[in-house]
Amino acid sequence: MMPLTELTVSRHNPLVDPSLHIWGWQIAVYLFLGGLVAGLMIIAGVRLIAIRPSQREALVCCTIGPIVGLTGLSLGMFTLFLDLSHKLHVWRLYTTFQITSPMSWGSWILLLVYPALVANGLAHLPEAIPALARRFPVIVTWSDFILAREWLVVAIGLSNMLVGIALGIYTGILLGTFGARPLWNSAILGPLFLLSGLSIAAATLHGILIIHTPDDERPTFADFLLSSLTKLIEAHPLDPKVGPVLAGADNSFLTIEAALLILFLIGNTTSTSVHQQAASLLLGGPYTAIFWVFVIGMGIVIPLILQSLELANRIRHTLAPSIFVILGGLALRFVLVYAGQQSHWLEALNR
Amino acid sequence: MNAPFYSFGLFGDQASLVVAFIIGIGFGFFLERAGFGVSPNLAAQFYLRDMRVLKVMFTAIITAMTGLYLLSRIGFVDLSQVYLVPTFLVPQIVGGLLLGIGFVIGGYCPGTSCVSAATGRVDGIVYVAGMFAGVMVYAEAYPHMLGFVHMTSMGQITLARLWDLPYGLLVFAVVLMALGAFVVAEWTEKKFGGMEPDPKGWLSVRPWRVTPVRVLVLGLLAAGFVALAAGSPYRGNHVTIDTKDLALRAGTGADTIQPTDIADWIVQDRNDYTLVDLRAAKDFDAYHIPGAQNLPMTSLSANSLARNQKIVLYSSDSTQAAKALFLLETQGFKSVYLLNGGIQGWHDTVLFPVKSPGMDAAAFEKLALVAKYFGGAPRETSASTSAALAAPMAPTPAPTVAAPVMPAAPAGGIPAAQHKKKREGC
Amino acid sequence: MNSSDHSPKPYWNPYLSGFGLGLVLLSAFVIMGRGLGASGAFTSVTATVMHAIAPAHATNNALYANYLGDGTQSPLLDWLVFEVLGVLVGGFLSAALANRLKFAVEKGPRISSGSRLIFAFVGGVIMMIGALFALGCTSGQALTGGALLNAGSWVFMMCVFGGGYAAAYFFRKLWL
Repeated sequence: MMPLTELTVSRHNPLVDPSLHIWGWQIAVYLFLGGLVAGLMIIAGVRLIAIRPSQREALVCCTIGPIVGLTGLSLGMFTLFLDLSHKLHVWRLYTTFQITSPMSWGSWILLLVYPALVANGLAHLPEAIPALARRFPVIVTWSDFILAREWLVVAIGLSNMLVGIALGIYTGILLGTFGARPLWNSAILGPLFLLSGLSIAAATLHGILIIHTPDDERPTFADFLLSSLTKLIEAHPLDPKVGPVLAGADNSFLTIEAALLILFLIGNTTSTSVHQQAASLLLGGPYTAIFWVFVIGMGIVIPLILQSLELANRIRHTLAPSIFVILGGLALRFVLVYAGQQSHWLEALNR
Repeated sequence: MNAPFYSFGLFGDQASLVVAFIIGIGFGFFLERAGFGVSPNLAAQFYLRDMRVLKVMFTAIITAMTGLYLLSRIGFVDLSQVYLVPTFLVPQIVGGLLLGIGFVIGGYCPGTSCVSAATGRVDGIVYVAGMFAGVMVYAEAYPHMLGFVHMTSMGQITLARLWDLPYGLLVFAVVLMALGAFVVAEWTEKKFGGMEPDPKGWLSVRPWRVTPVRVLVLGLLAAGFVALAAGSPYRGNHVTIDTKDLALRAGTGADTIQPTDIADWIVQDRNDYTLVDLRAAKDFDAYHIPGAQNLPMTSLSANSLARNQKIVLYSSDSTQAAKALFLLETQGFKSVYLLNGGIQGWHDTVLFPVKSPGMDAAAFEKLALVAKYFGGAPRETSASTSAALAAPMAPTPAPTVAAPVMPAAPAGGIPAAQHKKKREGC
Repeated sequence: MNSSDHSPKPYWNPYLSGFGLGLVLLSAFVIMGRGLGASGAFTSVTATVMHAIAPAHATNNALYANYLGDGTQSPLLDWLVFEVLGVLVGGFLSAALANRLKFAVEKGPRISSGSRLIFAFVGGVIMMIGALFALGCTSGQALTGGALLNAGSWVFMMCVFGGGYAAAYFFRKLWL
């Protein structure tokens, strides 16, 4: 037993074995943005199919959502790119397809995300940002082309949903395939990251809606800044009806996410001693405080309370729950990425 | 079940942070409910217009005080495990005055400014920024005023111990004082604030109506009366001593502390222990270990010692010290230790250390430095050992020892005198 | 977006909110064996920030070094930091429930917003220096120490009221 113990101790020193901790903030941010984009796509797809518009409307879910999604995706790809050791070899990802490699799947899914999002955004873009449409009349043509064909609208909606679900699950599976990391070794991570992404996306859209809606209670200078911003892009008023829907949907997502997190912890604590050890990182170990305070408390419980009260009309709709959900989603990924890299099979031998 | 839960190891450090967050939510919630997120509400206290601050603060104080007293008295909470911020009299007077002035100028205190900032008040946010600037100003000045910030140190001391009064009596007195202050507050609000008396208030005209506030006031008063009669809240009135444990500790020497350790603590200026000299006052005056407190056996009582600290006993007679240890254990003191060898041990190993055969030069050099720090001198040969032992304390070493020169920080070998870890407990 | 009445609700009775506060304090004693606080969190955060900006300066400063510890754990993983985080959230929740969230400068009637903010900043600086001298503020010393019959805390509390009432006359234009 002694030599094993010695080996473990030395390998646990990051100076001796720096490759143990290889993933930094870039991966956490990338997973967060990936989840956000996935959520935005699913919501945009569902909304597009649900209303099947024949006329252009200024829709927060189907226009602003895809625009935010495209920006987020590009940012996410950039952070992933920052994490690559050989940045110039990035194109090689697309010269191959490995059916057993989630990385390979991921790079191809990402390639599908762009056209799906662009198509969804295009359908209503001229109405949401008229200035852009005036500058580039071709946008109106495309929009008309899509809206005239109902089957195309449904196809775009469906493709957004499917690609979104694939992307959301992929962000979790990506961690789950690392067999050497017991904490990530759980099938629940896929649905967990998908639901978390959905809640982030709903919160983001809800937040955008609130910023966009004029509000007497808001301080004058903030209102001035926001109104000049919307004037600048000559945006039309968005549909405020969808606000409560988004808040309600967000509450459901958060509830399921909380249940999945509990399942995730139960699954780990009832598994082998290695997994128990991994879960103890979040149940008494060094990540406990951050996990329970930021992920569960501020990221799930408090926005749930606030949004329920908003829906019950007890309090005004504010930006606060959106901010809490977004920060909580970010914290979840940071905690899992960092704690996962600390969980280790050899840990159990060390006891 | 024993409380405080954290002190008894019911959960760890990480979980304690989660607890902190939850308790903080309660704290912030009630501060906001009381109207403390808005500066004019707070500042009005100093113009006698609105005595909200006084009412909330004193209700909270007497609620927690009586509650803690009762829970300790029934043995649920071990009061000695509740952390007391040590008293530094003069710095705390200066700090209090500055805080009062800052309160009037800024309109908030640190806790309330957080609530104010969280509820969107710009002045609260700016005030918080001011506090960060205040830390930076203080930090730059801190190294130059170490002498001042550590002056008049009195250790962890309660009013009960300071005045040698029963704890319960003080609890009762504070309750009475607070209720008196409430009556005065209601009166000043009417007089200076022009406030209409609250029809639901506890001093309203209809004396026999039961209101929540009246119930609360009566309950607190009743708790105060109970405290007056119920005696000491500290554990120890019915203490059970684990004789096996006691024997084990005595047998393994786990209840003794080496003189060299004490010397290190003194050099490091630690303040988490009390050193007690059990000899008669005459011997104490002739020489005592620096920082020791003279408590002859005859006057050894539970009231005169801090319960939150390590207590190290020494005497010229080791039987006497052991008896004192047992006495304090029966009073419910948790961490009492004996100085190994008593005053003689201090004399032989710290003041006049001998170079033993196996010892290398560097280690002895360090011992010599420590000895000089305390006004003693190292001895090279064991020949003089017997001489010193023959004529123990009084005549020969007394001149050097009686007035030990408190030196500037000793050189090299000893860890340079670290100043007391002066951290806010709360 | 909303139909019901969203005007601010009145504050609670001060005695009852004080009772609630007292119960929170009592629970801190029972669960943790320590009281509430606030100012220490600001020192921890400042120490962390200073350490990030100027590591050498921070580790050489005796005050910051105390809070930074031996460097094995972030000074932000501190009881008071998490407690103050809770204070922010709790205050926000309470205000949201009572419709008292408002982006505004709170001030007396005879002073401009700009001057109020300057005085708020100055007050914050003075208050923090005082709290560092006294090893605690109104929460850590007056409230907690008061309930524990801590000798220094009672002296401190009397001085806070003394200093406040003595200074009140000179700053009456700020509030009256």
